Amino acid sequence: MSSTTETAEREAAALAAVELARNPERPRALQVITTAFDQWTELRGDRLFGDDRAVVGGPARLGSQAVMVIGQEKGTDAMSRALHNFGMPHPEGYRKATRLMRQAEKFSLPVVCLVDTPAAYAGIGAEERGQAWAIADSLLCMLGLRTPTISVILSEGGSGGALALALADRVLALENAVYTVAPPETCAAILYRDAGQRARAAAALRPGVDTAYEIGLVDELIPRASRCGHSRDSRRVAPPSRRALCRAC
Amino acid sequence: MTARRQPPARRLPAPGPQLRPLVSTGTVSCPACSRRYVVERYAAAFNVCAGCGHHGAVPARQRITQLADHGSLELMRIEVGDRDPLRFDDGAPYPQRLARARERTGLSEAFLVARASIGQAPVLLACMDFGFLGGSLGSAAGEIFAQACEAAAVERRALVAVCTSGGARMQEGIASLAQMARCSAGVAAVGQARLPYLSVLGDPCFGGVTASFAAQADVILAEPGARIGFAGGRVIEQATHDRLPEGFQRAEFLLAHGMVDAVVARRHLPRTLATLLHMYMPA
Repeated sequence: MSSTTETAEREAAALAAVELARNPERPRALQVITTAFDQWTELRGDRLFGDDRAVVGGPARLGSQAVMVIGQEKGTDAMSRALHNFGMPHPEGYRKATRLMRQAEKFSLPVVCLVDTPAAYAGIGAEERGQAWAIADSLLCMLGLRTPTISVILSEGGSGGALALALADRVLALENAVYTVAPPETCAAILYRDAGQRARAAAALRPGVDTAYEIGLVDELIPRASRCGHSRDSRRVAPPSRRALCRAC
Repeated sequence: MTARRQPPARRLPAPGPQLRPLVSTGTVSCPACSRRYVVERYAAAFNVCAGCGHHGAVPARQRITQLADHGSLELMRIEVGDRDPLRFDDGAPYPQRLARARERTGLSEAFLVARASIGQAPVLLACMDFGFLGGSLGSAAGEIFAQACEAAAVERRALVAVCTSGGARMQEGIASLAQMARCSAGVAAVGQARLPYLSVLGDPCFGGVTASFAAQADVILAEPGARIGFAGGRVIEQATHDRLPEGFQRAEFLLAHGMVDAVVARRHLPRTLATLLHMYMPA
């Protein structure tokens, strides 16, 4: 009996951690870009098919240093969430990201990636245009870049869709973020053939970013300015991020 | 594909490569058209149905002997310890699932690696076994592949990988995701040594495997009818409620969309690989 309650509690806690990371009040990539960086100039399009708004990017200044910043944006309200496809990139998003990374290398700019995605988008168009190929290429691109790369897991790092922008020289993560091999819903669908068992999957996956820190996929955890960490006032997250980013650059 | 949907009903069995009388140990039937075969004859035809052309699953051990020149095989033993970072239990504890998979397949992990030659060209062959926990990519499997890549670079061998996998190994959680990075680094090492890397995608090939080393090859070949992609059809249907188009994520579909270089029938694979290797690796 007690073990059943224990399991239920563990599942509830794990699911709460995932929900906390998905809380719409947490800082989004665009908020961090506009507060921690200056003179951000957005560059759009993958030059192959289209422009994916789930990934935003362009050169900006971080303190005195010019950098290339690339972020996965989830959106903040119904309209912008739809526009940014809930932070789930299509292949065009990854191809835009690799285009910007190669451009950064050309002009010797460090690359800063802000990771926040439940997973890469799963859909017919995404598969037709080579989702796996776009991610695989982004991984190779990040490995081969001769300019410093920094990734920050803002809230949610899900699957290869997150890793594609998180294979950096230095990987930071905000506290209370999650980083998983697949979102709990997908994991439940794969293991139990039932997406409804996401609580069970969440508990089994140990989604907290500290697990990734333990195995060395994340180098540093950034403590949040406020304990609950869900203030709309993004200035409360920007200062520690900016400090950490400047240090990492 | 057309032949596959409508198996010929009353055609005599096409002569297999070996028509000598066999002392049979049993029969198997083609998963697509249910035509029955003597086990040995099916194996001699590379597990391809003579009636409908369906390419059946091939265990890694059988696969390496199919591809390598006769007598050139030398299995590489790469010992990697097990990891169970999450102490995962999905009905059965993960170590127990591993033990069962080992017993069933006789392999230590989802990857089998061997030094060999294909058409006299020196290669490192890395074959995945879908029968081993769905060919999933765990820490040990990733480490084996990465070490194979490094060995290929040092010994100046081309890398040939046969990928059949459901993707990342959920039971290892985030440690499994890290293998996409580890394997990509391996591929990068082979590329830096300017050695060719050819991948063969079998049925099925999905998730973190397609999204890393399977898609990073210089030349990507796919077997007829193989299902290949990032997210599986079931996941897409559940997420988008879209009806999937005919032949979605099949090898031929990917060829039409520019994702693979060629769809090659299994019996032509050794020759195709050899031809490419000779051009990219002059002796």
